[in-house]
Amino acid sequence: MLKIFAATAKELLLLRRDRTGLLVLFLMPAILVVLITLVQENVMELTGQKKTQVLFLDLDQGDLGRSLQKQLSTTTLDLVLWDEKQKDIADIQAAVTGGGYQVGVVIPKGASARFTEETARLFQQGTGSGKPREMAATTVQLFVDPGIMAGLRSGVIAQLEMALTTIALEAKLAQLGGVLAQTMARAGMEPEQSPLAGDKLPALFRQPLLDLQEHQGDSGAIGASQYKPVQQNVPAWALFGMFFTAIPIAGSILQERNSGIWIRLTALPVSPLVLFTGKALAYMGVCLCQFLLIALIGAFLFPFLGLPAFTVSMHPTAILLTVVLSSLAACGYGIFLGLTCNSYEQASTLGSTTVVAAAALGGVMVPVYAMPQVMQQLSIISPLNWGLTAFQDLLLRGYSLSAILDDLGRLLLFFAVTVFVSWKLAGIRK
Amino acid sequence: MRPGDPCLPEPGPDCVVSARSLIKQYKNSDRPALNDFSLEVREGEFFGLLGPNGAGKTTAISILTGLFPADSGSIRIKGMSFQDHEHEIKRILGLVPQDIGLYDTLTARENLSFFGKLCGLSGQKLAERIQQGLEFARLTEHARHQVATFSTGMKRRLNLAVGLLNKPQLLVLDEPCVGIDAQSRHLIHNQLQEINRQGTTILYTTHYIEEAQELCSRIGIIDNGRLEEQGSPTALLQQSGIRNLEELFLHLTGKELRDT
Ligand SMILES: Nc1ncnc2c1ncn2[C@@H]1O[C@H](COP(=O)(O)OP(=O)(O)OP(=O)(O)O)[C@@H](O)[C@H]1O
Ligand SMILES: [Mg+2]
Repeated sequence: MLKIFAATAKELLLLRRDRTGLLVLFLMPAILVVLITLVQENVMELTGQKKTQVLFLDLDQGDLGRSLQKQLSTTTLDLVLWDEKQKDIADIQAAVTGGGYQVGVVIPKGASARFTEETARLFQQGTGSGKPREMAATTVQLFVDPGIMAGLRSGVIAQLEMALTTIALEAKLAQLGGVLAQTMARAGMEPEQSPLAGDKLPALFRQPLLDLQEHQGDSGAIGASQYKPVQQNVPAWALFGMFFTAIPIAGSILQERNSGIWIRLTALPVSPLVLFTGKALAYMGVCLCQFLLIALIGAFLFPFLGLPAFTVSMHPTAILLTVVLSSLAACGYGIFLGLTCNSYEQASTLGSTTVVAAAALGGVMVPVYAMPQVMQQLSIISPLNWGLTAFQDLLLRGYSLSAILDDLGRLLLFFAVTVFVSWKLAGIRK
Repeated sequence: MRPGDPCLPEPGPDCVVSARSLIKQYKNSDRPALNDFSLEVREGEFFGLLGPNGAGKTTAISILTGLFPADSGSIRIKGMSFQDHEHEIKRILGLVPQDIGLYDTLTARENLSFFGKLCGLSGQKLAERIQQGLEFARLTEHARHQVATFSTGMKRRLNLAVGLLNKPQLLVLDEPCVGIDAQSRHLIHNQLQEINRQGTTILYTTHYIEEAQELCSRIGIIDNGRLEEQGSPTALLQQSGIRNLEELFLHLTGKELRDT
């Protein structure tokens, strides 16, 4: 036991002396998590998972513009109102095609008046069963960035069309109510006898008769179905950084192997397992600090960058356990690398390639569900996937410890197997 | 005397190291590094294993200290085998590797402390041994300096001091004086002789003939993985009728380069 601690203390001392190495170990995942989350926030915007900003220029300043604003206020569109005294259509066009905004809407001058007029004329077609007159539609102008994704484009257009249809329908109904009242009056009936008297019509119109209801799994988390890049990225890139410590671990073993240290250690009455455990403990401390740093960045720096804050309100013990076991798996891999490779160059090349590959496969860069079917099935072999799945179950889906035991078990097994193989290799490498 | 003759068939009670017919061939090599190598080192001896580059000195020492096993042959350290008593043997053994076995970014004291703890030392005893080690290596002034800043001589001295931490009964040194100046070599020689006088058995490899002659009570000449000759320096010369050890060495090992 004392020998394990001696090995741990020695390793921590070595780490403390290697400031640059340590800095890289912490800076790399920190920079990545900030960068990737910022980048993905934009992707969210482009795919419509975040409110899309819509430039709104009302040159008309009439009822139509006000109704449209009111209708759109309940959608996922975020209206940016431009002052019609300072901007014109050309400005909107420039802003949208320039990529500054994705969508622009312009209400032309005189649109409200024209719309009211045409609505009124709709029911003044005269009696008899002749073909109705063609009405002239009032145009609202739309500008869409040609660079946005097709899904977002059709989503935005559908919402705008829905709003315009509703406004037109409400206007038609109001008009219809008027016409109906007049007709009844002409037939000698009291207006109160009409089933559509007064303000009843718009109120009736708003009654929902058909409803679309979304169902979620049996998870307890509120709003769990929303893809949250921050809650996903913080643990993902922390894991990435943690697994990268495999390279310095391998490096420290190779430094020993390629000098007289390894020979000296082998001649001492101490098992390689003791030395490995000591090393693993030291680097586990590093991994814990890495996770803490990334989590703190997520919690306190992200809000300053306009990102939502990372929260670990749920199951702190289970999260700590996941961090610890992920670190162990990373340490095991590092020890394994240190004994299979013959030089630091080999270990760092093989190590970084495999960690990046395992990260990609595990869903650190692109969520697993967004991968092709084959890759989704393959992702199960990546230790980063086990850690990440555990984190997502805890942080996104709101599950408790019992739900992630299988993933934690895999991480522990991975550590045990890598250390066992390394121990056997150490025997051969003698 | 032919190798293997003394102490046969059973190693005597004063045999600290007894190796019989060791054969070792590295996987990626086409000839054995040890070829029927036999050796006996007796209690209190200062034994020098003398041989040209690539003769198999390091291989022999590695096998004798249990770093890896031989392909065949047997080894007894104080009558114990590595299969049954690895831990006990390692406790009484001190090894000074040919390559410096120190952490560059740790200080002299930290290196001594770490390896001391691995030897099972702690507390007051550890502190004492560290102090003795620093004094032995004449590095008390530099105790808090990182090994990376040391000269080769300082590193060699500390390398040796670490091997002495557990006060070994058998001290095995693999070319401990390579690449150092006369002052450091002189110091190390004196200290080793002192340690030997105090009762520690020493097995010392070198390719410097003068060094072997100056230090060792008995010398074995190894070449091509085989012990060619052994005996005290004077006995070796008398037997062969050759004037000096260097000539004997060249006579036994030939004049062509050994590591081409
Ligand atoms: N790991 C290895 N793999 C393959 N061959 C090896 C290995 N180590 C040593 N050898 C070979 O075995 C032979 C003996 O090597 P060894 O290191 O024991 O010699 P040495 O007497 O210690 O030499 P030196 O004076 O250079 O230290 C040499 O021919 C060497 O090339
Ligand atoms: Mg050698």
